[in-house]
Amino acid sequence: MTEDAHETALETDALGKRYGRAWALRGCALRLPAGRIAALVGPNGAGKSTLLHLAVGLLRPDAGQVRVFGRDPRGDSETLADIGFVAQDTPLYRDFTADELITMGARLNRRWDADLARDRLTGIGIPTRKPVGGLSGGQRAQVALALALAKRPRLLLLDEPAAALDPLARHEFMGALMSAVAESGTTVLLSSHLLADLERVCDYLILLQTAHVQLAGDVDELLAQHRTLTGPRTDRPEAVPGVRSVIRASHTDRQTTLLARTTTTGTVPTDPAWSAHEVSLEDLVLAYLGAADTHRTEVTA
Amino acid sequence: MIWLTWRQHRKQLVYLALGLAALAALMVPTGLSMHDTFQDSGLADCLDALGTDVLLSGQVDTCDALRRQFTDEFNSLTMVAILFMVLPLLVGLFFGAPLVAREVEHGTHRLVWTQGITRRRWALTKLGLLGGLTLPLAVVYALGVTWWFAPVAANGTGRLAYGFFDVQGIVPVAYTLFALALGTFAGTATRRVLPAMAVTLGGFAAVRLGIETLLRPHYMPPEELSYSTTGGQWLNPAADSWIYESGVRNADGELVSSGLIGCPPHDPLCLDRGGVEPGSSNWQLYQPGDRFWTFQFIETGIFLGLTALLCYLAVRRIRQIA
Repeated sequence: MTEDAHETALETDALGKRYGRAWALRGCALRLPAGRIAALVGPNGAGKSTLLHLAVGLLRPDAGQVRVFGRDPRGDSETLADIGFVAQDTPLYRDFTADELITMGARLNRRWDADLARDRLTGIGIPTRKPVGGLSGGQRAQVALALALAKRPRLLLLDEPAAALDPLARHEFMGALMSAVAESGTTVLLSSHLLADLERVCDYLILLQTAHVQLAGDVDELLAQHRTLTGPRTDRPEAVPGVRSVIRASHTDRQTTLLARTTTTGTVPTDPAWSAHEVSLEDLVLAYLGAADTHRTEVTA
Repeated sequence: MIWLTWRQHRKQLVYLALGLAALAALMVPTGLSMHDTFQDSGLADCLDALGTDVLLSGQVDTCDALRRQFTDEFNSLTMVAILFMVLPLLVGLFFGAPLVAREVEHGTHRLVWTQGITRRRWALTKLGLLGGLTLPLAVVYALGVTWWFAPVAANGTGRLAYGFFDVQGIVPVAYTLFALALGTFAGTATRRVLPAMAVTLGGFAAVRLGIETLLRPHYMPPEELSYSTTGGQWLNPAADSWIYESGVRNADGELVSSGLIGCPPHDPLCLDRGGVEPGSSNWQLYQPGDRFWTFQFIETGIFLGLTALLCYLAVRRIRQIA
């Protein structure tokens, strides 16, 4: 059951959310195509949770709008049925057993695959007749994921689901997530500040920084559009041939290193004094986050 | 939703039922003994014979000895009224306050509000079910207390008196639903369980006392009664009146004493001993006892109105929580 390639799972337009006078998210314009596994990246406080809460209808926008499969998620049980959501710290009723949580889901959802959830949990050896408060953090996260998957959602939103887990549990969680969505073709939007988790699994990137979208797009395309360039020291890196815009520049006495968006994807610069290297997703994200930081300091200085 | 509500609140409901059963185990035997003494001592018949007129004349207070005896025996038990007044509050504290606040405190609102039903329906169903569950319990409690208190009220205190009015008839049911709504609303405002409980406690006490002392005496204009100090008339203890103020007024209408005086006719010395001039009369400002149900309906209406308002505000506030 693959989604239509042109369908849009999540779309926001000038979306904004304000807490008091501070904007947690502002002017957010996004389009997440269906079938993607998207990473929502940004430092703490950048608005990741706010965006996810807006997408699942927990929050009401103060500006703009958000659409999930073309519909407003707020107060609409039909759209809610299409969205699976795993909140930060994977909250569960701690005195409920996993079986009882699955029963709860069956009572609260018209479409509910109880067997899927139960089979997943027994498959990875999680006791379903013990109160989930007595399980480990990793096991609770697996229960929360199983509950979200049992809705058979078309869009699965996860808010730092693995942040509190140890590396092994995190690895297992991401593995479980990926095998589940590979089977179902579900669109996934996964927020994290742990880049390493996302690099392996995501094919779409949304980078949030200080309430704004810094960068969004297909991971392969983004990587193809950016290069690390090394050449003789220059104070005008924008003038280097083949550079469309400089994301980050660093200088030694004799050398300048740039992370730049190039004019044509995949080509090396024409100037032989400069050498180009491919960038990793982590380099790219860090460069954008660092660039925004410098920009901000300049503004405030 | 029904299953979830039961699963989440069954523990409190069981505790509530156990508490009511324990209370019944205490109240049924004492109530029976009170009713038995009331009948067997002849007090019931004696008070019946007095009728419900406010003033009686020509007789001496025949029930006086029996009344004193009954009061001596059971007066300490009427302290239980305080416990009865607190019961509705417990529903607000342990069902209302945690209803939303505990979900937000544990983050589970993000679990339950992102399932396939809207949170509006979640809130309405929860409020409806918990209200529906506590309603019969409150009715049983109100009926039981009304039965338990009947002899004490009949024995001169009256059903309109503070502390008696509040635990009888239908108002305890309205207080209970009000406490539930207040607790729920407090939970949506504070979003934490303990502060919500504190707000519920303070709010319940303030609203109850405020309405009881500021509004209730004015539901209907009180009546005045004047009668001669020497006419051989006396107030009927079975009249159920709620007396605001009483005393002796002189011929000019000034209140000269706060006690009532009953002297034989043509005995100026008796009046002198009481410190009043001839021509004075006894006076009282009071609500007649037969207004009990009117007052009950008015107060019930006020609290049900407040309940509806708080439920509306709570559901509105729930939409703001993320």
